Amino acid sequence: MEKEFIKNTEKKVSLNVTGGKIDSFRQTEKTTGTVRVYENGCIGVAGCIGEPNEEDLTKRAIEALEFGIPYPEKLEGACEMEERHDDEIIPIPEFIPTMQTFLDRLGAECPNFAFSNKIGLQYTSTEYINSKGHRLSHAGGAVYVGLIAKNRGSGNIFDSFLGWKGREFDADMLITQFKKEYDAFFKTVDIEPGRYPVVIEATTILYRFINHFIGELYASGASLLSGKLGEKVFSPKLSFMADMNPLTAPTACFFDAEGCVAKDFRPVFVENGVLKGLLTSKKSADTFSLPNIGSAQAAYDGVPDAGLTGLYFEPTAKSLKELVPGKAIYVVVAEGGDATPDGHYASPVQLAYLMEDGEFVGRLPDLNISGDFFELFGKDYIGTVLDEPMKGDSLSAIMMDVGK
Amino acid sequence: MIQFKEGFYADIRVEDRFSTVIAYQAGVLEEMKNRVEKQAFLRVYDGKLWYYASVTDIEHLQKTLDGLYAAATANPEILKDPIVRKFEVNRDRLSHFEGCSVRDIPLKEKQALLKSYLPLLSEHECIKMSRAKYLDRNSKFTFISSLGADIEYDYQTCGLALSFDMAEGEKQFSGNWQQGGTRFDEAKGHEKEIRASIEEQISFMRNSVPVVPGKYPVVLSPEAAGVFAHESFGHKSESDLMISDESMKEEWQLGKAVGSPILSIVDCGELSGAGFTPYDDEGTKARKNYLIKNGKLAGRLHSAQTASVLNEDLTGNARAVSCDFEPIVRMTSTYIEGGELDFDELIAPIEKGYFIKTIKHGSGMSTFTIAPEVVYEIENGKLGRPVQISVITGSVFETLGLIDGLSKEVVQLSFVTGGCGKMEQHPLPVGFGGPFVRVCEMNVQ
Repeated sequence: MEKEFIKNTEKKVSLNVTGGKIDSFRQTEKTTGTVRVYENGCIGVAGCIGEPNEEDLTKRAIEALEFGIPYPEKLEGACEMEERHDDEIIPIPEFIPTMQTFLDRLGAECPNFAFSNKIGLQYTSTEYINSKGHRLSHAGGAVYVGLIAKNRGSGNIFDSFLGWKGREFDADMLITQFKKEYDAFFKTVDIEPGRYPVVIEATTILYRFINHFIGELYASGASLLSGKLGEKVFSPKLSFMADMNPLTAPTACFFDAEGCVAKDFRPVFVENGVLKGLLTSKKSADTFSLPNIGSAQAAYDGVPDAGLTGLYFEPTAKSLKELVPGKAIYVVVAEGGDATPDGHYASPVQLAYLMEDGEFVGRLPDLNISGDFFELFGKDYIGTVLDEPMKGDSLSAIMMDVGK
Repeated sequence: MIQFKEGFYADIRVEDRFSTVIAYQAGVLEEMKNRVEKQAFLRVYDGKLWYYASVTDIEHLQKTLDGLYAAATANPEILKDPIVRKFEVNRDRLSHFEGCSVRDIPLKEKQALLKSYLPLLSEHECIKMSRAKYLDRNSKFTFISSLGADIEYDYQTCGLALSFDMAEGEKQFSGNWQQGGTRFDEAKGHEKEIRASIEEQISFMRNSVPVVPGKYPVVLSPEAAGVFAHESFGHKSESDLMISDESMKEEWQLGKAVGSPILSIVDCGELSGAGFTPYDDEGTKARKNYLIKNGKLAGRLHSAQTASVLNEDLTGNARAVSCDFEPIVRMTSTYIEGGELDFDELIAPIEKGYFIKTIKHGSGMSTFTIAPEVVYEIENGKLGRPVQISVITGSVFETLGLIDGLSKEVVQLSFVTGGCGKMEQHPLPVGFGGPFVRVCEMNVQ
């Protein structure tokens, strides 16, 4: 019988903000433990909340083998790796005063916005050990800001959003960058319907098609991508991966739920336009003879399944100005979009700015954007820029149909 | 016995949650587990700041509570604090599911029920991949507060979720069927209904044509209407995002006309199903709250904090997705009240429009969106061919004013997967529903 043991701990401090003032402090710590055992082509899983007792979990996992859940035993071989990125970011006693000072300064720079929601600190650690000597250890930490900005007197409950996550909190950078958007918010501009470069987090669109990357759907023939593994189906400028790299995903664990470690901690889905990988677990990869790129997830008491935490798009430009010189539409909020079965995507845009040479010009009215899956990430894909300071994710530029 | 300290408000919520997941994919067992989690969420308020802790060690709650007291500052005037004065002090014991708890049903019996439905998913060659899930939850809640509240109640959901990916030639479609209830027996005997639903979705895949984008009259099913009410107006009625801006009270004055005079939207935690919340997570008793009554703004949803700031009554809407989080203002079961028409009368005057039968999801800000799944054309007052639509959108307030017909029939829906997401708390079980709703113009893409 082979065995895996996993222990996860998450420590969080969360501040609630109402009208620019911190009104609550929440501190939580949660530890979970998991044992998975493999015997005769089946898996048994047991999990617990709280400090795990490996012996007890193992006994329960062995009992769970009787359910007869088929799962191939393909544990990773002997290897030891550790990644620690959990240095203290802000001491907890200083967290409230630091963040209230930041909020006061932000409120002074953006007086017509009322800020609400959460600011927090998060530290995570994961240990993975299997019976073949595979030992992995990860620890990460980040501060996150997720503030809803409400334009005073607008009648809306939500007008814009200040979102950021990182390991080094730089209040000056956040305020300076958000101030640019704030100034543009109050200058209304307009455009004629037509085709424009749209700057958007590509995940906003891609997540509406993510089921087509699931191994089982691919193998069944019911995916838009079925039969295309290894083929160039998108723009040669497009490369994207699951982001498990601490450099760009501060709290992400560098290995997946089954202890798989990808090159550069980024399992590849599309490389230079070629479909290289799909969302799989070891089981689905084995069942359908697909490559397992190592992005499985599992509940603390659950059987591993294909999953995804975040995506990394390979940058093609160093700045927004380089990516889209001239006029472009910068989308901040596009909620509620979806696609038809044949791949036509459409979404309303609730907040967008007109951009000229990478700089905000003014706020656009509500818009609609649309396009077809293979064209959006094919001939219409312009490229991606990373490290645009205000965004945790990459920003991509795509030619899209824009209407009102 | 918990010892509360003077000079503070404090409350403790404990949930003992039992849940079951059984899942099959392509007829093969993928997951089978019972989970029991006991967790507590503690709050201390000193009149200036709230201090929260979430713990799994429920044997030592006093120690955690004392830790929160140590972080806060005693306030001799705490009982005069406007938030503290808002809290209800209820004492109650409610048990709706004793004798029919899903805790008492053997896992093998649940598995056998799910297995009995699996053959339906392999009756058609065009179904290339299928998933079937049995899901249940039974929770026992207790709530005590330093003011003397002492409440116990239970909550239960139970149901099935089937999904299937289909392909035939170049045509593809991902279909689904779901049943949500509160008793195990309600999950039995759905073969005929499932078979009919699969056949309809196969027909949709084979025969649906892309829509010509434009503005059309649209009739929403109870499912679509319920999601529309939840997304378009329910979230706007959650007053926690309102209290950060004083001008909101003026903008959202009760009595203001916000929709068609035939429109009334209600939120109520008393209804059985996923949104059942007899007491909210601050101990407030559920009640029927009109958000819109006859087209006019009639109320909004509150926690004690927001009710205190806006000087309005409690509504029973302070909810947390689990004991990991503090309660925030959330919906329970939200629905549109019925009208006077039959379905045929509703579609009769439409020369060209669309009937949205099922949906994938919806969202709402100033513009709302619904992503339809199965849609039929309405032509000269009759249902016609199936049509593919990516999204229907519109300005919330314009659309609420364009509702010009409601059916008599009202359906309340409850699902066992998904739920409502708000910021960090997802998925919260909610109920929704309504009549068939006719909107004289919507933007269809």
